[in-house]
Amino acid sequence: MDRSFVVIKEIGDCGIIYANGYLNGLGAERLEEECEQLLREGIKKIVVNFKKTELINSIGISVLIGIIEKVRSAGGHLGFCNLEKVHAETFEMLGFTKYVPIFPSEEEALISMEKRPPYRGRASRKEGSDG
Amino acid sequence: MDRDDLSKKRLLFNLAALIDLGEEITSDKDFKGVIKSSLYLIMGTLSASRGAILEYEGGRLQFLASKGLEGEERAIDLLPEELTFLRSHNQPFLFESSSLFLEGRQKWEALLPVLVAPMIVKKEFIGLITIGKRFTGEAYTQEDMDILSVMAKHIGTGIYNHNLLLSLSQKVEENRRLYTELQLVYYDTIQALAAAIDAKDDYTKGHSRRVARYCVALAEELGLSREEIEAIRIAGFLHDVGKIAIDRSIINKPSKPTKEERMELNQHPLISYEILSKVRFPWKEIPLSVRYHHERVDGKGYPDRLTGDKIPLLAKIMAVADAFDAMTTDRPYRKRLSIDEVFREFEREMGKQFDPRVAEVLLRRLKKELAGEVKERRLLMDEGMEEGPSLRRLYLRRIN
Repeated sequence: MDRSFVVIKEIGDCGIIYANGYLNGLGAERLEEECEQLLREGIKKIVVNFKKTELINSIGISVLIGIIEKVRSAGGHLGFCNLEKVHAETFEMLGFTKYVPIFPSEEEALISMEKRPPYRGRASRKEGSDG
Repeated sequence: MDRDDLSKKRLLFNLAALIDLGEEITSDKDFKGVIKSSLYLIMGTLSASRGAILEYEGGRLQFLASKGLEGEERAIDLLPEELTFLRSHNQPFLFESSSLFLEGRQKWEALLPVLVAPMIVKKEFIGLITIGKRFTGEAYTQEDMDILSVMAKHIGTGIYNHNLLLSLSQKVEENRRLYTELQLVYYDTIQALAAAIDAKDDYTKGHSRRVARYCVALAEELGLSREEIEAIRIAGFLHDVGKIAIDRSIINKPSKPTKEERMELNQHPLISYEILSKVRFPWKEIPLSVRYHHERVDGKGYPDRLTGDKIPLLAKIMAVADAFDAMTTDRPYRKRLSIDEVFREFEREMGKQFDPRVAEVLLRRLKKELAGEVKERRLLMDEGMEEGPSLRRLYLRRIN
C-alpha cells in the first residue's frame, strides 16, 4: 500500500523534502526522484524532514540510502530532521548517523546548512543543468 | 543504545523485513512491482547501495529489477561451467571468493556484486540476486548472509510460482485454440463427407447440407437444447452416408426403382448406422437418429418398422426434413411439388408418415417464411441460391 506523499520546499539555496506518510512501498521512490530533481537544478543542500513520517520499513531505508549516495556523489550536503525516536534509533543502528547529521528541528538543520560552503551555482531550473 | 539493544533492534528490523517480504510475494500486485519491492526490501535490510534480481532463461540472466547500478542493464550470457557452479550453490557466497568468475569478469561489472545469492527451487536454477557493497563500506556479516539466503528462497519461489502460473495459463489458452481448430476441422470433415455422399447422386446435389439446415431450423422451433441441435446438425449432414455402399446406377436411375432395387436402396439407413455407430461422436443420438430417419409413425417405414413413441424425436425431425427436401427438389422420375402440394402432402401424412407435432412445426415455419415474418429464411432459400427451393419459383407455381 503506497501512502507516502512527498512535499518539496526551497528556502534559500536549500531544498527541503517532507517525507510524509508511509515509507514502506515503491511510492517512497518519489523521495529519491525529487532529490535527483533538486540536484539537477543545482540545489546541493538537502534536508529531509521526517515530522509527518508514519512508518519506515526496509523499502524506505533502501530509498534513503539511494538519497545518501546521490547527494554524496553530487558533492552536496544532506541532513535529516524531526525524527521520532524509533526512527532515529533505526538510523543509528544502520550507520546513517555517521554519514548524515540529524537535527531536532528544521530550523536547526537550516542554520547548519547555511554554514556549509555555498552551492556551486544554479543556472536555471531546466533539467540536466546542475551549474 | 548499547550493544544488546542494537542487536535486539537489528533482529526486530530483520524480522519485520521478512514479514514485509512475505506480504509482498503473496500480494496480487503486478509481478514486476513485487520483484522490485522485494529487491528494495533486501537492499534496505542489508543497507546495500546496489543490487539486482536476474532471472535465468535460455542460457542467459535477464534483469527483473535493479537499483543503484551504473551503466546499462544488459543480459548476461552464462558459460556452462558458470551455470553448473551456480546450480550447485543454494547459499549466498562472496563474489570475490569465487575463482570461477575471475575470467570474463567484465560481464559482471555493471552489477559490481559483493554477495551473490542463486535462487534454486525444486532443483531448478531460477536466477540470481546480486548485492553490491554496503553503503557504509562495512563488510557483510554471516547474519547478513543468512537473511539474504532466506529472502532469496522466498523470492525464488515467488518467481517459480509466477512462471508456473504463466505457463499454465498459456497451456489453457493453447488448448482452447487447439480445441477450436479441431472443431473447425471436424465440421469441415463432416461437410466434405456430406458433399462426397451427395456427389454420388446427380439429382440431389446439396441434399445433405440442406437436410442439416432444415433439421436445425425444426429443432430450434421445437425448442431443443444446444446439444441436441448440434447432434441433429451432424446427423443431418451424415444421414445418407450409407448410400456410399449402394450401386450408383440404382441411385441415379431415371425411372422408379424395381422392387429389388427398392430393397437395396432401403438398406442405406442401416448401412449409415453401421458406419456412424463406429464413430465416437460426442452426441450418442446420432447413429440411431440416422438409422430411423425412414421410419414412419404408423409403423410402415423401414428398416425396423418402428411406431410412434418408439422412434426417437431426432429421427422424426430428420424424416420431416428429408421428405421436405425430396418434395421441393426435382427427382429423376418427377418434378418438384408446388408449395400447395407440399402443404397438402404434410397435412395428409400427419400421424401416418410424419409425427404430427414435427410436421405442424414445419408448416408453421413455412407459413411464417412465406409471409415474410422471419428474420432469416431457413426453409425457403433466397432467389439466386442454387440449393433449395426458390421462394419465387415456389410462389409462381402456387399462383399458377
